[in-house]
Parts: sequence; C-alpha cells; structure tokens
Amino acid sequence: MAGEVNRRDFLSTLGVSVGAALTASAGSVIPSVGVAHAQEKPKGNIPDTPYKIGHMTFFTGPAAVLGEPMYKGQLLAAEEINAAGGLLGKRKIEILKADEAAGTDANVKELRRLKLSEKIDFFCGITSSGNTPALGPVAEELKCLTIFVDGCTDFLWDKAVPNPHYIFRITNMQSADGVTCAVAVAQTWPKIKKIAHIHPDYSYGRNAFDHFGIVMKKLLPHTEVVSEGWPKLGTTDFSSHITKAISSKPDLVVSSVWGGDYVAMYKQALRYGMFQKAKFASMIAFGVAPHAIGKDHPEGVIAGVHSNYHFTYPDGDRWPYNKSFVEKYHKRFSEYPNFQAEGGYTATYILKAAIEKANHLTGGWPEDDAVIAMLEGQMIAGPAGYVYIRPDNHQGYKDAVTGFSKNVAEYPFPILDPARIITIPIRNITAPPGWPKGEPTSTYTWIDKTWPVAKV
Amino acid sequence: MDVLVIHLLNALLYASVLFLIAGGLSLIYGVMRIVNMAHGNLYAFGAYVTAWAIGSVAAGAPTALLLVLLPVGALAAAVLGAALEPTLLRPFYQRAEEYQLLVTFGLLMILEDLLRFVWGPYPLSASEVFENFGSLTLGDSLYPTYNFLVIGVGIVAATFLWAFIYKTRFGVVLRATSQNMRMASALGVNVNRVYIEAFTLGCFMAGLGGAIIVPGQSAVLGMGIDAVVLAFIVVVVGGLGSLEGALVGALIVGVVREAGITWFPEIELAVLYLIAAIVLLIRPAGLFGRP
Repeated sequence: MAGEVNRRDFLSTLGVSVGAALTASAGSVIPSVGVAHAQEKPKGNIPDTPYKIGHMTFFTGPAAVLGEPMYKGQLLAAEEINAAGGLLGKRKIEILKADEAAGTDANVKELRRLKLSEKIDFFCGITSSGNTPALGPVAEELKCLTIFVDGCTDFLWDKAVPNPHYIFRITNMQSADGVTCAVAVAQTWPKIKKIAHIHPDYSYGRNAFDHFGIVMKKLLPHTEVVSEGWPKLGTTDFSSHITKAISSKPDLVVSSVWGGDYVAMYKQALRYGMFQKAKFASMIAFGVAPHAIGKDHPEGVIAGVHSNYHFTYPDGDRWPYNKSFVEKYHKRFSEYPNFQAEGGYTATYILKAAIEKANHLTGGWPEDDAVIAMLEGQMIAGPAGYVYIRPDNHQGYKDAVTGFSKNVAEYPFPILDPARIITIPIRNITAPPGWPKGEPTSTYTWIDKTWPVAKV
Repeated sequence: MDVLVIHLLNALLYASVLFLIAGGLSLIYGVMRIVNMAHGNLYAFGAYVTAWAIGSVAAGAPTALLLVLLPVGALAAAVLGAALEPTLLRPFYQRAEEYQLLVTFGLLMILEDLLRFVWGPYPLSASEVFENFGSLTLGDSLYPTYNFLVIGVGIVAATFLWAFIYKTRFGVVLRATSQNMRMASALGVNVNRVYIEAFTLGCFMAGLGGAIIVPGQSAVLGMGIDAVVLAFIVVVVGGLGSLEGALVGALIVGVVREAGITWFPEIELAVLYLIAAIVLLIRPAGLFGRP
C-alpha cells in the first residue's frame, strides 16, 4: 500500500492530460487500418469462397441507438476490403446480421445456428455486457473465431472465460469506464462532497458504480455517496430516480445510463432542473450515435464515450486515419460514427491484418490458430488511436478518452469540447498482465491495493 | 416538504398511466373473460401513433395543435381494437381459455413486429410538447408542467369511466353482460355488440395511456411487454375484472414503486413483485376481485 500523496501529483503520474494534446503510446507500431496501407501479395492458393461473418448487435429498441453503429462500422470496413478484392485479395466478406435484442438465451442459440448451420468463419459484434459472458464460453466450445466489439464487462476475462483461445474483444475493458469518469471528476471538480448515482441495474451499471467508487476512495476520499438509483435497463421513465437524486442535494450526479434510455433521462432531468442543481458526469452519455443527442443537452457536463472514442478526436490532420474514417462513414451512412462504429471498423481491420500476417508465414488461407497467434499481441492504428491486443487475456487496450459536452456551429448535435478532451494512458487505469484475478474485478483490487490515498 | 410533494406527483404520474392500461385490461376481462396479453402493445401502438403524429408529421407546429393531435394514438388503438375483436378473438370464445391466451400472446408478438415494421427499430420521440410546457417551480424544486396534464387525464379518465359504467344505460348493459352473459343475451342484449364495444373501449384506454406518456418519454420497442407485465401486477393487486381494483392497484403500485426507488433502491425491481406475491397470499382474488 503506497503512502499518501498530493492528488494533483498523483493525477500527473497517471498521465491524465486535458486539452487537445495527443497522448503518445509507447511501442513501435506499423499502422495497418485503412486501405491506404500497401498490401503484400498473398502467398499460396487462396480460395475464393466468401468469408462469412456473423454480426450480432442491437438492431432494435433503445439499445440500437448505441449498438447498431458497430454493424455499420464493420460493413464499411468489409465494403472497403471487398472493393480491393477481399481478404487476401480473394475472399469477399459476407456479413450475416443477428439482433442482440432477442435476449441472452436466444442469442446463444443464434450463435450456435450461425456457426453450425450458416458455417460462419468469424463472429463479431455484441453490445451488452449481459451477453458476452454467455456467448464467450459458447464461442470457445464451438471453436468459433470471435472478436467482441463491446460487451466489455471485466467478468468475461476474470471469470467466464479466464483462458480465452478463440475469443477476443476490441473496445476498452468496462472498469476503464468508471475509472476514467472518476479521474475526470477528480481532476475537474475536486471540491465536490456529495455524490448521487443513477445506473442501470445490471452488470454494466454495477461495474461503473464500483469503479467510480474505488477511485473516489483514493482521489477524493472526503466524498460520500448520498443517493443511489438503479433503474431497469430499457426504461424510459426516470422521474423517480431524478427526484431522489435531486432531493439528496448532491454536488454531483453520476450516471452510466446509456443509449435511448439516456436520451429520455436527460430530457426529463432538464425539466426537473437536475443540471442546474448539481454537476453531472456520465460514463457513456455520448456513446450513442451522435445525432441522437439534441442541442438541448446541457453543456459543460462530463459526457463520456465509454472511455473509447469520440469522432471529433483526434481531430484534423493530426491523425489521418480518424479524418478519413469519419469522412467515409459520413458519406456512406449520412451520420457520424460512435465508439461502436469505430470498434466494428477496427475489429475488421485487425482481423484482416492478422490474416495477412498469418498468410505471410504459412502460405495459403491460414488456419484459425495461426490467425489467433497473430492477433495475440497485435497492435494496430485505428481511427481512435493505437489499439493493442494483450496476449494473456485477448483484450484490446487503447488510451481512454472522455470530455465535456459543448454545442458548436458545425454540428447539429453537441460534441466533446475540442479544447478540453481528457485522455489517460490505458495502462495507468487497468490491471496489468500478471495481476491476480480479483473481486469484483482485477482492476478494482489493483486500484485498491496499489493506488495511494490522496491528501485532502 | 416540496420533495415529498414531487414524490407524490411522480407516484400519481405513474399511477395515471398504469390505471389507463390496467383499467382497460380489467374492463376487457370483466366483460369478456379474456386475458388480453396483447394489451401492452395496444398501449405501445397508441404511443407510436402519437409520437409519429406530433414528433414527425406535425413537428414544429404550435403547441396547441400538437395537443389536439395528442389523442390520435388513443383513437388509433380503439380502431385497431374494433378490428381485432370480431376477426381474431370472436372465433375463440367457445374454446378453452388456453387458446385465448395463446392467440392474444401471439398477437402481442405480431403487434411488436408490426410496430417495428412501420416505424423502424429506433425509439420515436415526441418530446417537443414535453419541452414546450417547461417546468413549474414548487418551493425549491422544479417539476415538469406536462406531467400535470398526464395526471389530469388519468383523473378525468377514471371519473368518466366510473360515470360511464355506473350512470349510463350502456354501463348497465355492460355490467349485466359481465355478470351473466347468457341471461343478458336471453333478455335481448346484443352480446356481440357489447363485446366489441367493451374491447374497443379497453383498447382506447390503453392507447390513451401510451399517447399521453409518450411526449415525456419516448416510444420504444419492448415498452408494450413491460407495460403488460406491470398491468398484470396492478390487476393481481386490485383484482382482475374490477375497475375500482385497477384504480386502487395502480395507486398502490405507483406509491410503492416511488417509495421503493427512494428508500430501497437495491430492490427496486423486486418490490412490485413482492407486493403482488403478498396480495396473492392473503387475498388470491385481489383486493377488489370476486373470488
């Protein structure tokens, strides 16, 4: 247990940066996302049968506002790859859609059907962290090569599939979400004392609450939780939860309510005056497709993007992959991408890169095991920045991002204030390789045991 | 103090909409002895039609016009009900109750897909009315002004329904048919007509519930299934087939939910089922039900 330190000093050791600076990640990197990268000629005979991808996400309901763009991201990548001849120049990608809204049991059956009847080569997608722990073990059992785009619960690797072989995940670990939000709060509003929480009552909401809490214990130990609300996932009535939060007279309201639920919540919270009475921080407010949020959304609140990606960052010409991705996505779908779209897009390109590397070594169409060996430890540049797949737990890591809502003239919806983007190197807020599995999560115990308590 | 008032208003808001849904469900059961599982999606249908009318078709129109358009969801649900009863339900009256459950449950699913087919997979919003109404200051607190309209509609609907059932000739016929369909028929009551009217009225109420709540929330797929589950809790508590039961049940559920969220957040979802379980243990027919 480390001793007491000054909060500001500790935040700077975390590498938290605010503003437009692009945080650099260590490591030598060969960018390979996008069609710009020159391809080596594939070795050996490549079949020209289609490469079938089963893509499951929310196509219906309130969750679709957040989840469906991951399909669009993958579709865009697939169309680009197909236009260039397909995977290894030969195999055109064919995507089979499945609706995650069918429910966990039905989703498991659908995965089996996709693998056994449709003979998919690769499974992708998944939004809800209620689903990955059920689908992960089944994908392993079916020996189905899988990259989950989201469904980012720590539980997947901590408990459900502790030694993954066939399954991977591309967007940041869930614990990073609560931690990022809490670090942003500690950095921005260190004087707050009373905190009210409103989270959806399932694994994601609980995870966000736990990790926000453990960081508060370390960075702002003088704060206390004065109210908790646990609305059901998929609800659109938050009157009671908002009233309860306001009546506890908090300095800050924290919420991980997401998707269409969040849209309903902020509109109701406006009418209850919640944003006038307390500061507001969300893990995932701007995780939805950007156009789903109206200009009436309060400005200056911490509007998280699931600690992953907002399409305005990295901006301009400083990170060409992002610029070209956003342009292509907007041209194709007449909307702007969210973090799921970026995840679906990057997942497809990281798969492509692994297949090409494996082909380079083995010739012909590579076995799944060869592709898996290449995916492990793979680092590529995506629109959001560098993403690294850790070999031990098959989890994708990229620097965490959050920021403050702001209305600008260029867009018909609020974006993250470009001058105040907060980025945190991911290695500083998630449990490192070799850290023992913990309860409720490894990251939780890692923070609890290794972070110092900041002086008041 | 003002916080308590707001909690109370929240409970009334919830109860108003629940009463409209559960009242319709109970009315249909009381008269026709049909447990209409599809009821939730008639509520959703009302919400979708209104959201579509005031959120898309007439978006940007003056608030007064939007308010006039508000009940179109209720009317649409009534028309749908009037079409469904003679075509889909009537052939099953002579069969065992399981068939009716299966048919109405199937209808619930079909309507869900219909909503998706017509209005797409995304939530439909009609928040303009809700926003234009602004908020009312109560002491130190703000309360959405629109919610008063919802509560008002709930109260007016309950009053009208009571007057309708107990003070009109049609109400007498309705109650007679409910108590003894064969005898009413023998006395010259056109039972088919009473059935279609009762079913249409029940659907109108559900649609009205959806229509008035949609500006403050939004129309989403799955809302009907959630609603029918809640409506069943209400009628279990109040007694299936009893309008007083639906009213009292809705008030109990509204207050208990509000209190649960405020004082027992950890068991918010369980608390309603607990109430239903307790009522079932003590009074299996519900508080106002006929055993």
